[in-house]
Amino acid sequence: MDLTLIVVLVIALALFFDFTNGFHDTANAMATPIATGALRPKVAVGLAAILNLVGAFLSTEVAKTISGGIIREGDDGVFITPELIFAGLIGAIVWNMVTWLLGLPSSSSHALFGGLIGAALVGFGVQAIDFGVVMSKVILPAVLAPLTAGLIAYTATKLAYAITRRYDGKPDGRDGFRHAQIFSSSLVALAHGTNDAQKTMGVITLTLVAAGMQSSGDEVQGWVIVTCAVAIALGTYMGGWRIIRTLGTGLTDVKPAQGFAAETSTAATILASTHLGFALSTTQVASGSVIGSGLGRRGSKVRWRTAGRIGIGWLMTLPAAGAVGGLAALVAQLGIAGVIIDAIAGAVVIAGIFLWSRRNEVSHHNVVSEVADSGRAVKIKRNPKPKRKVAP
Amino acid sequence: MIDWFAFLVVLVSALVGATVVVIAYSLGIRLLTLSGRTPIVTPAEFTDAITVVTPAEIRQAEKRAAKAAKKSPLTEGQKRAAFVGAWACFTISAIAIILGVYLIVGEHVFELFG
Repeated sequence: MDLTLIVVLVIALALFFDFTNGFHDTANAMATPIATGALRPKVAVGLAAILNLVGAFLSTEVAKTISGGIIREGDDGVFITPELIFAGLIGAIVWNMVTWLLGLPSSSSHALFGGLIGAALVGFGVQAIDFGVVMSKVILPAVLAPLTAGLIAYTATKLAYAITRRYDGKPDGRDGFRHAQIFSSSLVALAHGTNDAQKTMGVITLTLVAAGMQSSGDEVQGWVIVTCAVAIALGTYMGGWRIIRTLGTGLTDVKPAQGFAAETSTAATILASTHLGFALSTTQVASGSVIGSGLGRRGSKVRWRTAGRIGIGWLMTLPAAGAVGGLAALVAQLGIAGVIIDAIAGAVVIAGIFLWSRRNEVSHHNVVSEVADSGRAVKIKRNPKPKRKVAP
Repeated sequence: MIDWFAFLVVLVSALVGATVVVIAYSLGIRLLTLSGRTPIVTPAEFTDAITVVTPAEIRQAEKRAAKAAKKSPLTEGQKRAAFVGAWACFTISAIAIILGVYLIVGEHVFELFG
Protein backbone atom coordinates (compact mmCIF):
# COMPACT_ATOMS: atom_id res chain seq x y z
CA MET A 1 0.00 0.00 0.00
CA ASP A 2 2.69 2.41 1.09
CA LEU A 3 4.82 1.43 -1.85
CA THR A 4 2.04 2.12 -4.35
CA LEU A 5 1.39 5.51 -2.77
CA ILE A 6 5.01 6.55 -2.93
CA VAL A 7 5.35 5.34 -6.52
CA VAL A 8 2.32 7.40 -7.51
CA LEU A 9 3.76 10.42 -5.71
CA VAL A 10 7.12 10.01 -7.42
CA ILE A 11 5.53 9.70 -10.84
CA ALA A 12 3.42 12.81 -10.25
CA LEU A 13 6.50 14.70 -9.14
CA ALA A 14 8.54 13.43 -12.10
CA LEU A 15 5.85 14.64 -14.47
CA PHE A 16 5.86 18.00 -12.73
CA PHE A 17 9.62 18.14 -13.21
CA ASP A 18 9.04 17.39 -16.89
CA PHE A 19 6.58 20.27 -16.98
CA THR A 20 9.08 22.70 -15.40
CA ASN A 21 11.67 21.42 -17.86
CA GLY A 22 9.51 22.40 -20.84
CA PHE A 23 8.59 25.59 -19.05
CA HIS A 24 12.23 26.48 -18.44
CA ASP A 25 13.54 25.57 -21.88
CA THR A 26 11.05 26.99 -24.39
CA ALA A 27 13.44 29.82 -25.03
CA ASN A 28 16.21 27.44 -26.11
CA ALA A 29 14.45 26.78 -29.36
CA MET A 30 12.35 29.86 -29.80
CA ALA A 31 14.37 32.80 -28.47
CA THR A 32 16.25 33.39 -31.71
CA PRO A 33 13.36 33.12 -34.22
CA ILE A 34 11.24 35.44 -32.05
CA ALA A 35 14.18 37.83 -31.75
CA THR A 36 14.65 38.11 -35.50
CA GLY A 37 10.93 38.16 -36.20
CA ALA A 38 11.04 34.93 -38.18
CA LEU A 39 7.98 33.69 -36.32
CA ARG A 40 5.18 35.35 -34.42
CA PRO A 41 5.72 34.65 -30.71
CA LYS A 42 2.41 32.81 -30.39
CA VAL A 43 3.12 30.66 -33.40
CA ALA A 44 6.67 29.99 -32.23
CA VAL A 45 5.63 28.72 -28.81
CA GLY A 46 2.77 26.64 -30.17
CA LEU A 47 5.14 25.09 -32.69
CA ALA A 48 7.70 24.37 -29.97
CA ALA A 49 5.06 22.63 -27.86
CA ILE A 50 3.87 20.42 -30.72
CA LEU A 51 7.40 19.50 -31.75
CA ASN A 52 8.40 18.68 -28.18
CA LEU A 53 5.41 16.36 -28.04
CA VAL A 54 6.40 14.68 -31.28
CA GLY A 55 10.08 14.54 -30.35
CA ALA A 56 9.35 12.72 -27.11
CA PHE A 57 7.97 9.78 -29.08
CA LEU A 58 10.88 9.50 -31.44
CA SER A 59 13.73 8.13 -29.37
CA THR A 60 14.44 6.46 -26.05
CA GLU A 61 18.24 6.39 -26.21
CA VAL A 62 18.76 8.95 -23.45
CA ALA A 63 16.12 7.42 -21.17
CA LYS A 64 18.15 4.24 -21.16
CA THR A 65 21.26 6.18 -20.15
CA ILE A 66 19.63 7.74 -17.11
CA SER A 67 17.94 4.69 -15.74
CA GLY A 68 21.28 2.95 -15.35
CA GLY A 69 24.86 3.91 -14.64
CA ILE A 70 25.33 6.86 -12.34
CA ILE A 71 23.85 5.21 -9.27
CA ARG A 72 25.29 1.74 -8.70
CA GLU A 73 22.33 -0.54 -8.73
CA GLY A 74 21.78 -4.24 -8.53
CA ASP A 75 23.40 -7.03 -6.59
CA ASP A 76 26.85 -5.47 -6.27
CA GLY A 77 25.55 -2.00 -5.46
CA VAL A 78 22.57 -0.43 -3.74
CA PHE A 79 18.87 -0.70 -4.34
CA ILE A 80 17.66 2.85 -4.72
CA THR A 81 14.26 3.36 -3.11
CA PRO A 82 11.34 5.38 -4.48
CA GLU A 83 11.68 7.64 -1.40
CA LEU A 84 15.16 8.70 -2.49
CA ILE A 85 14.08 9.32 -6.07
CA PHE A 86 11.29 11.43 -4.63
CA ALA A 87 13.80 13.44 -2.60
CA GLY A 88 16.04 13.85 -5.64
CA LEU A 89 13.14 15.15 -7.72
CA ILE A 90 12.27 17.69 -5.05
CA GLY A 91 15.85 18.96 -5.25
CA ALA A 92 15.67 19.19 -9.03
CA ILE A 93 12.31 20.96 -9.15
CA VAL A 94 13.11 23.46 -6.41
CA TRP A 95 16.39 24.39 -8.09
CA ASN A 96 14.68 24.68 -11.48
CA MET A 97 12.04 27.00 -10.07
CA VAL A 98 14.53 29.11 -8.13
CA THR A 99 16.75 29.65 -11.15
CA TRP A 100 13.73 30.44 -13.28
CA LEU A 101 12.66 33.06 -10.74
CA LEU A 102 16.12 34.61 -10.47
CA GLY A 103 16.78 34.40 -14.19
CA LEU A 104 19.90 32.40 -13.41
CA PRO A 105 21.05 30.19 -16.22
CA SER A 106 20.82 26.53 -15.32
CA SER A 107 20.38 23.19 -16.94
CA SER A 108 17.31 21.14 -16.14
CA SER A 109 19.22 17.93 -16.68
CA HIS A 110 21.95 18.95 -14.26
CA ALA A 111 19.34 19.85 -11.67
CA LEU A 112 17.92 16.36 -12.11
CA PHE A 113 21.30 14.62 -11.86
CA GLY A 114 22.30 16.79 -8.91
CA GLY A 115 19.11 16.05 -6.99
CA LEU A 116 19.38 12.32 -7.56
CA ILE A 117 23.07 12.20 -6.66
CA GLY A 118 22.49 14.24 -3.49
CA ALA A 119 19.66 11.96 -2.40
CA ALA A 120 21.67 8.79 -3.08
CA LEU A 121 24.68 10.18 -1.18
CA VAL A 122 22.55 10.82 1.89
CA GLY A 123 20.74 7.51 1.55
CA PHE A 124 23.66 5.19 1.00
CA GLY A 125 26.89 7.13 1.29
CA VAL A 126 29.68 7.59 -1.19
CA GLN A 127 29.75 4.01 -2.47
CA ALA A 128 26.33 4.47 -4.07
CA ILE A 129 27.66 6.81 -6.72
CA ASP A 130 29.78 5.74 -9.61
CA PHE A 131 31.91 8.86 -9.89
CA GLY A 132 33.57 7.64 -13.05
CA VAL A 133 30.18 7.60 -14.74
CA VAL A 134 29.28 11.00 -13.23
CA MET A 135 32.47 12.39 -14.73
CA SER A 136 32.06 10.82 -18.15
CA LYS A 137 28.29 11.19 -18.55
CA VAL A 138 27.56 14.46 -16.73
CA ILE A 139 30.54 16.68 -16.00
CA LEU A 140 32.68 16.27 -19.09
CA PRO A 141 29.73 16.56 -21.49
CA ALA A 142 28.75 19.73 -19.61
CA VAL A 143 32.14 21.22 -20.42
CA LEU A 144 32.33 19.84 -23.92
CA ALA A 145 28.75 20.49 -25.06
CA PRO A 146 28.79 24.30 -25.06
CA LEU A 147 32.32 24.35 -26.50
CA THR A 148 31.34 22.00 -29.30
CA ALA A 149 28.16 23.88 -30.08
CA GLY A 150 29.98 27.20 -29.87
CA LEU A 151 32.69 26.08 -32.25
CA ILE A 152 30.16 24.74 -34.73
CA ALA A 153 28.00 27.86 -34.52
CA TYR A 154 31.07 30.08 -34.98
CA THR A 155 32.06 28.20 -38.12
CA ALA A 156 28.50 28.14 -39.47
CA THR A 157 28.00 31.88 -38.87
CA LYS A 158 31.30 32.77 -40.53
CA LEU A 159 30.32 30.65 -43.53
CA ALA A 160 26.80 32.08 -43.80
CA TYR A 161 28.12 35.64 -43.73
CA ALA A 162 31.06 34.96 -46.05
CA ILE A 163 28.90 33.31 -48.67
CA THR A 164 26.24 36.03 -48.74
CA ARG A 165 28.58 39.01 -48.34
CA ARG A 166 28.45 41.58 -51.13
CA TYR A 167 31.25 44.06 -51.57
CA ASP A 168 29.37 46.24 -54.03
CA GLY A 169 26.86 47.46 -51.47
CA LYS A 170 23.92 45.89 -53.29
CA PRO A 171 21.18 44.09 -51.31
CA ASP A 172 22.53 40.81 -49.97
CA GLY A 173 19.22 39.06 -49.43
CA ARG A 174 20.09 37.99 -45.89
CA ASP A 175 16.45 38.60 -44.99
CA GLY A 176 15.84 35.28 -46.65
CA PHE A 177 17.37 33.51 -43.65
CA ARG A 178 14.15 34.27 -41.78
CA HIS A 179 12.39 31.58 -43.77
CA ALA A 180 15.15 29.10 -42.96
CA GLN A 181 14.90 29.96 -39.29
CA ILE A 182 11.37 28.58 -39.16
CA PHE A 183 12.74 25.16 -40.05
CA SER A 184 15.95 25.30 -38.04
CA SER A 185 14.22 26.41 -34.84
CA SER A 186 11.59 23.73 -35.34
CA LEU A 187 14.39 21.22 -35.54
CA VAL A 188 15.79 22.48 -32.23
CA ALA A 189 12.39 22.07 -30.59
CA LEU A 190 12.13 18.56 -31.99
CA ALA A 191 15.62 17.74 -30.78
CA HIS A 192 14.75 19.12 -27.36
CA GLY A 193 11.79 16.74 -27.23
CA THR A 194 13.92 13.77 -28.23
CA ASN A 195 16.46 14.62 -25.53
CA ASP A 196 14.73 16.19 -22.54
CA ALA A 197 11.46 14.28 -22.25
CA GLN A 198 13.69 11.21 -22.10
CA LYS A 199 15.18 12.30 -18.82
CA THR A 200 11.83 12.10 -17.06
CA MET A 201 11.05 8.82 -18.74
CA GLY A 202 14.34 7.56 -17.36
CA VAL A 203 13.44 8.66 -13.84
CA ILE A 204 9.98 7.06 -13.94
CA THR A 205 11.47 3.85 -15.30
CA LEU A 206 14.06 3.97 -12.51
CA THR A 207 11.22 4.28 -9.98
CA LEU A 208 9.27 1.40 -11.46
CA VAL A 209 12.40 -0.74 -11.37
CA ALA A 210 13.10 0.32 -7.77
CA ALA A 211 9.56 -0.58 -6.74
CA GLY A 212 9.89 -3.96 -8.42
CA MET A 213 7.16 -3.21 -10.94
CA GLN A 214 9.46 -3.59 -13.91
CA SER A 215 12.70 -5.49 -14.46
CA SER A 216 15.77 -3.33 -14.98
CA GLY A 217 16.64 -4.30 -18.54
CA ASP A 218 13.20 -3.53 -19.94
CA GLU A 219 12.16 -0.90 -22.44
CA VAL A 220 10.42 2.29 -21.37
CA GLN A 221 6.71 1.58 -21.04
CA GLY A 222 4.18 3.10 -23.43
CA TRP A 223 2.13 5.08 -20.93
CA VAL A 224 5.34 6.59 -19.52
CA ILE A 225 6.27 7.92 -22.95
CA VAL A 226 2.80 9.38 -23.53
CA THR A 227 2.50 11.14 -20.16
CA CYS A 228 6.05 12.54 -20.35
CA ALA A 229 5.48 13.82 -23.87
CA VAL A 230 2.26 15.56 -22.84
CA ALA A 231 3.82 17.06 -19.70
CA ILE A 232 6.79 18.58 -21.52
CA ALA A 233 4.60 19.92 -24.33
CA LEU A 234 2.22 21.50 -21.84
CA GLY A 235 5.12 23.04 -19.94
CA THR A 236 6.58 24.43 -23.15
CA TYR A 237 3.30 26.01 -24.10
CA MET A 238 2.64 27.50 -20.67
CA GLY A 239 6.18 28.72 -20.06
CA GLY A 240 6.36 30.45 -23.36
CA TRP A 241 3.84 33.14 -22.57
CA ARG A 242 5.92 34.56 -19.80
CA ILE A 243 8.91 34.75 -22.07
CA ILE A 244 6.93 36.28 -24.91
CA ARG A 245 5.50 39.04 -22.80
CA THR A 246 8.93 40.21 -21.84
CA LEU A 247 11.13 39.06 -24.65
CA GLY A 248 12.06 42.52 -25.79
CA THR A 249 13.83 43.50 -22.62
CA GLY A 250 16.22 40.58 -22.70
CA LEU A 251 17.10 39.81 -26.24
CA THR A 252 20.02 41.17 -28.09
CA ASP A 253 20.30 42.10 -31.63
CA VAL A 254 20.26 38.72 -33.35
CA LYS A 255 20.34 38.81 -37.13
CA PRO A 256 18.53 36.20 -39.24
CA ALA A 257 21.70 34.69 -40.71
CA GLN A 258 23.24 34.44 -37.25
CA GLY A 259 20.07 32.99 -35.73
CA PHE A 260 19.85 30.39 -38.48
CA ALA A 261 23.48 29.35 -37.97
CA ALA A 262 23.02 29.13 -34.20
CA GLU A 263 19.83 27.07 -34.45
CA THR A 264 21.29 24.69 -37.00
CA SER A 265 24.34 24.14 -34.81
CA THR A 266 22.22 23.55 -31.72
CA ALA A 267 20.01 21.07 -33.53
CA ALA A 268 22.95 19.24 -35.10
CA THR A 269 24.78 18.93 -31.77
CA ILE A 270 21.74 17.73 -29.83
CA LEU A 271 20.64 15.29 -32.48
CA ALA A 272 24.12 13.82 -32.89
CA SER A 273 24.54 13.36 -29.15
CA THR A 274 21.03 11.99 -28.66
CA HIS A 275 21.75 9.42 -31.31
CA LEU A 276 24.76 8.23 -29.32
CA GLY A 277 22.89 8.29 -26.01
CA PHE A 278 24.71 11.24 -24.42
CA ALA A 279 22.47 13.13 -22.04
CA LEU A 280 23.47 16.64 -23.05
CA SER A 281 21.97 19.74 -21.55
CA THR A 282 20.01 21.51 -24.27
CA THR A 283 20.31 24.79 -22.38
CA GLN A 284 24.08 24.60 -22.44
CA VAL A 285 24.22 23.62 -26.08
CA ALA A 286 21.87 26.44 -27.09
CA SER A 287 23.77 28.98 -25.01
CA GLY A 288 27.07 27.83 -26.49
CA SER A 289 25.62 28.23 -29.98
CA VAL A 290 24.31 31.72 -29.33
CA ILE A 291 27.69 32.87 -28.00
CA GLY A 292 29.58 31.11 -30.80
CA SER A 293 27.40 32.60 -33.51
CA GLY A 294 27.76 36.05 -31.97
CA LEU A 295 31.52 35.68 -32.10
CA GLY A 296 31.24 34.64 -35.73
CA ARG A 297 29.99 38.10 -36.68
CA ARG A 298 32.42 40.82 -37.56
CA GLY A 299 33.27 43.33 -34.86
CA SER A 300 31.95 41.19 -32.00
CA LYS A 301 33.40 41.13 -28.51
CA VAL A 302 32.65 38.84 -25.56
CA ARG A 303 31.06 40.42 -22.50
CA TRP A 304 32.99 38.33 -20.05
CA ARG A 305 30.92 39.45 -17.06
CA THR A 306 27.74 37.96 -18.50
CA ALA A 307 29.58 34.91 -19.78
CA GLY A 308 31.10 34.44 -16.31
CA ARG A 309 27.71 34.71 -14.64
CA ILE A 310 26.36 32.01 -16.94
CA GLY A 311 29.37 29.81 -16.16
CA ILE A 312 28.88 30.21 -12.41
CA GLY A 313 25.22 29.26 -12.78
CA TRP A 314 26.27 26.07 -14.52
CA LEU A 315 28.82 25.23 -11.83
CA MET A 316 26.27 25.84 -9.07
CA THR A 317 23.50 23.69 -10.45
CA LEU A 318 24.82 20.23 -9.64
CA PRO A 319 25.84 20.90 -6.00
CA ALA A 320 22.87 23.15 -5.24
CA ALA A 321 20.25 20.70 -6.51
CA GLY A 322 22.26 17.98 -4.77
CA ALA A 323 22.08 19.84 -1.46
CA VAL A 324 18.30 20.26 -1.70
CA GLY A 325 17.94 16.63 -2.80
CA GLY A 326 20.14 15.48 0.09
CA LEU A 327 18.16 17.50 2.60
CA ALA A 328 14.90 16.11 1.26
CA ALA A 329 16.40 12.61 1.46
CA LEU A 330 17.28 13.13 5.14
CA VAL A 331 13.66 13.97 5.87
CA ALA A 332 12.31 11.23 3.61
CA GLN A 333 14.19 8.61 5.61
CA LEU A 334 11.80 9.20 8.51
CA GLY A 335 9.40 7.01 6.56
CA ILE A 336 6.04 7.87 5.12
CA ALA A 337 5.66 10.89 7.43
CA GLY A 338 8.96 12.21 6.13
CA VAL A 339 7.85 11.85 2.54
CA ILE A 340 4.67 13.76 3.33
CA ILE A 341 6.68 16.51 5.06
CA ASP A 342 8.89 16.67 1.95
CA ALA A 343 5.89 16.86 -0.34
CA ILE A 344 4.31 19.65 1.69
CA ALA A 345 7.57 21.59 2.00
CA GLY A 346 8.18 21.22 -1.72
CA ALA A 347 4.67 22.37 -2.56
CA VAL A 348 5.03 25.39 -0.26
CA VAL A 349 8.33 26.40 -1.85
CA ILE A 350 6.96 25.99 -5.38
CA ALA A 351 3.76 27.90 -4.58
CA GLY A 352 5.83 30.60 -2.90
CA ILE A 353 8.08 30.96 -5.93
CA PHE A 354 5.06 31.09 -8.21
CA LEU A 355 3.39 33.80 -6.11
CA TRP A 356 6.65 35.72 -5.87
CA SER A 357 7.02 35.61 -9.65
CA ARG A 358 3.51 37.05 -10.01
CA ARG A 359 4.46 39.91 -7.76
CA ASN A 360 7.37 41.24 -9.76
CA GLU A 361 6.35 40.01 -13.15
CA VAL A 362 7.50 43.06 -15.03
CA SER A 363 11.09 43.07 -13.85
CA HIS A 364 13.37 41.69 -16.52
CA HIS A 365 15.63 39.89 -14.06
CA ASN A 366 13.24 37.02 -13.54
CA VAL A 367 12.13 36.55 -17.09
CA VAL A 368 15.14 36.91 -19.31
CA SER A 369 15.73 33.53 -20.82
CA GLU A 370 19.12 31.94 -20.36
CA VAL A 371 19.77 31.64 -24.02
CA ALA A 372 18.81 35.20 -24.70
CA ASP A 373 21.11 36.10 -21.86
CA SER A 374 23.99 34.30 -23.55
CA GLY A 375 23.44 36.57 -26.50
CA ARG A 376 24.37 39.47 -24.29
CA ALA A 377 27.71 37.89 -23.59
CA VAL A 378 28.76 39.01 -27.03
CA LYS A 379 28.82 42.64 -27.94
CA ILE A 380 28.57 43.62 -31.57
CA LYS A 381 30.12 46.91 -32.53
CA ARG A 382 28.85 48.91 -35.45
CA ASN A 383 30.32 47.09 -38.39
CA PRO A 384 32.53 48.89 -40.85
CA LYS A 385 31.75 48.24 -44.49
CA PRO A 386 33.26 44.98 -45.67
CA LYS A 387 36.36 45.44 -47.81
CA ARG A 388 37.72 42.92 -50.18
CA LYS A 389 41.23 41.90 -49.29
CA VAL A 390 43.55 43.24 -51.97
CA ALA A 391 46.04 40.76 -53.29
CA PRO A 392 49.59 42.09 -52.86
CA MET B 1 36.56 7.70 -18.55
CA ILE B 2 34.83 9.45 -21.34
CA ASP B 3 34.59 7.75 -24.66
CA TRP B 4 36.65 10.23 -26.67
CA PHE B 5 35.97 8.46 -29.90
CA ALA B 6 32.21 8.82 -29.42
CA PHE B 7 32.70 12.50 -28.59
CA LEU B 8 34.74 12.95 -31.74
CA VAL B 9 31.97 11.29 -33.72
CA VAL B 10 29.43 13.72 -32.22
CA LEU B 11 31.67 16.74 -32.93
CA VAL B 12 32.45 15.79 -36.51
CA SER B 13 28.96 14.67 -37.47
CA ALA B 14 27.35 17.76 -35.91
CA LEU B 15 29.93 20.03 -37.59
CA VAL B 16 29.46 18.41 -40.97
CA GLY B 17 25.67 18.40 -40.67
CA ALA B 18 25.42 22.04 -39.58
CA THR B 19 27.90 23.35 -42.14
CA VAL B 20 26.33 21.44 -45.02
CA VAL B 21 22.91 22.91 -44.20
CA VAL B 22 24.26 26.43 -43.68
CA ILE B 23 26.49 26.41 -46.77
CA ALA B 24 23.72 25.08 -49.01
CA TYR B 25 21.17 27.58 -47.75
CA SER B 26 23.59 30.53 -47.90
CA LEU B 27 24.59 29.62 -51.45
CA GLY B 28 20.89 29.46 -52.26
CA ILE B 29 20.38 32.98 -50.93
CA ARG B 30 23.41 34.21 -52.86
CA LEU B 31 22.19 32.67 -56.11
CA LEU B 32 18.66 33.93 -55.54
CA THR B 33 20.05 37.44 -55.15
CA LEU B 34 22.14 36.97 -58.31
CA SER B 35 19.06 35.88 -60.22
CA GLY B 36 17.50 39.24 -59.44
CA ARG B 37 14.98 38.01 -56.88
CA THR B 38 16.48 39.32 -53.66
CA PRO B 39 14.30 38.03 -50.83
CA ILE B 40 12.77 40.80 -48.74
CA VAL B 41 11.36 39.13 -45.66
CA THR B 42 10.15 41.45 -42.93
CA PRO B 43 9.73 40.33 -39.31
CA ALA B 44 6.43 38.55 -38.66
CA GLU B 45 5.79 40.64 -35.60
CA PHE B 46 7.70 43.51 -34.06
CA THR B 47 8.40 42.49 -30.49
CA ASP B 48 10.28 45.02 -28.42
CA ALA B 49 13.58 43.53 -29.43
CA ILE B 50 13.16 44.24 -33.12
CA THR B 51 13.65 47.57 -34.75
CA VAL B 52 10.40 48.39 -36.48
CA VAL B 53 10.55 48.56 -40.24
CA THR B 54 8.00 50.92 -41.72
CA PRO B 55 6.11 50.06 -44.92
CA ALA B 56 7.96 52.91 -46.61
CA GLU B 57 11.28 51.36 -45.69
CA ILE B 58 10.11 48.01 -47.01
CA ARG B 59 9.14 49.61 -50.32
CA GLN B 60 12.52 51.31 -50.41
CA ALA B 61 14.31 48.02 -49.87
CA GLU B 62 12.25 46.43 -52.63
CA LYS B 63 13.08 49.28 -54.97
CA ARG B 64 16.78 48.97 -54.19
CA ALA B 65 16.63 45.25 -54.88
CA ALA B 66 14.80 45.82 -58.17
CA LYS B 67 17.36 48.43 -59.21
CA ALA B 68 20.24 46.12 -58.39
CA ALA B 69 18.55 43.36 -60.36
CA LYS B 70 18.11 45.62 -63.38
CA LYS B 71 21.77 46.67 -63.33
CA SER B 72 22.91 43.08 -63.07
CA PRO B 73 25.48 42.25 -65.74
CA LEU B 74 24.11 38.72 -66.07
CA THR B 75 22.16 37.65 -69.13
CA GLU B 76 18.59 36.36 -68.81
CA GLY B 77 19.84 32.80 -69.29
CA GLN B 78 22.42 33.18 -66.54
CA LYS B 79 19.79 34.63 -64.24
CA ARG B 80 17.51 31.70 -64.91
CA ALA B 81 20.37 29.30 -64.23
CA ALA B 82 21.09 31.12 -60.94
CA PHE B 83 17.44 30.82 -59.96
CA VAL B 84 17.39 27.09 -60.65
CA GLY B 85 20.69 26.77 -58.79
CA ALA B 86 19.25 28.61 -55.81
CA TRP B 87 16.37 26.21 -55.53
CA ALA B 88 18.71 23.27 -55.99
CA CYS B 89 20.66 24.59 -52.98
CA PHE B 90 17.52 25.02 -50.89
CA THR B 91 16.54 21.48 -51.78
CA ILE B 92 19.95 20.15 -50.74
CA SER B 93 19.59 21.98 -47.44
CA ALA B 94 16.13 20.50 -46.88
CA ILE B 95 17.28 17.01 -47.79
CA ALA B 96 20.20 17.32 -45.36
CA ILE B 97 17.79 18.23 -42.55
CA ILE B 98 15.37 15.43 -43.40
CA LEU B 99 18.26 12.99 -43.59
CA GLY B 100 19.48 14.14 -40.18
CA VAL B 101 16.06 13.62 -38.62
CA TYR B 102 15.76 10.27 -40.35
CA LEU B 103 19.14 9.11 -39.05
CA ILE B 104 18.01 9.82 -35.51
CA VAL B 105 14.45 8.64 -35.56
CA GLY B 106 14.17 6.43 -38.62
CA GLU B 107 14.67 3.09 -36.90
CA HIS B 108 12.44 4.03 -34.04
CA VAL B 109 9.62 5.13 -36.31
CA PHE B 110 9.77 1.75 -38.02
CA GLU B 111 9.48 0.09 -34.63
CA LEU B 112 6.47 2.22 -33.76
CA PHE B 113 4.58 1.53 -36.95
CA GLY B 114 5.56 -2.06 -37.45
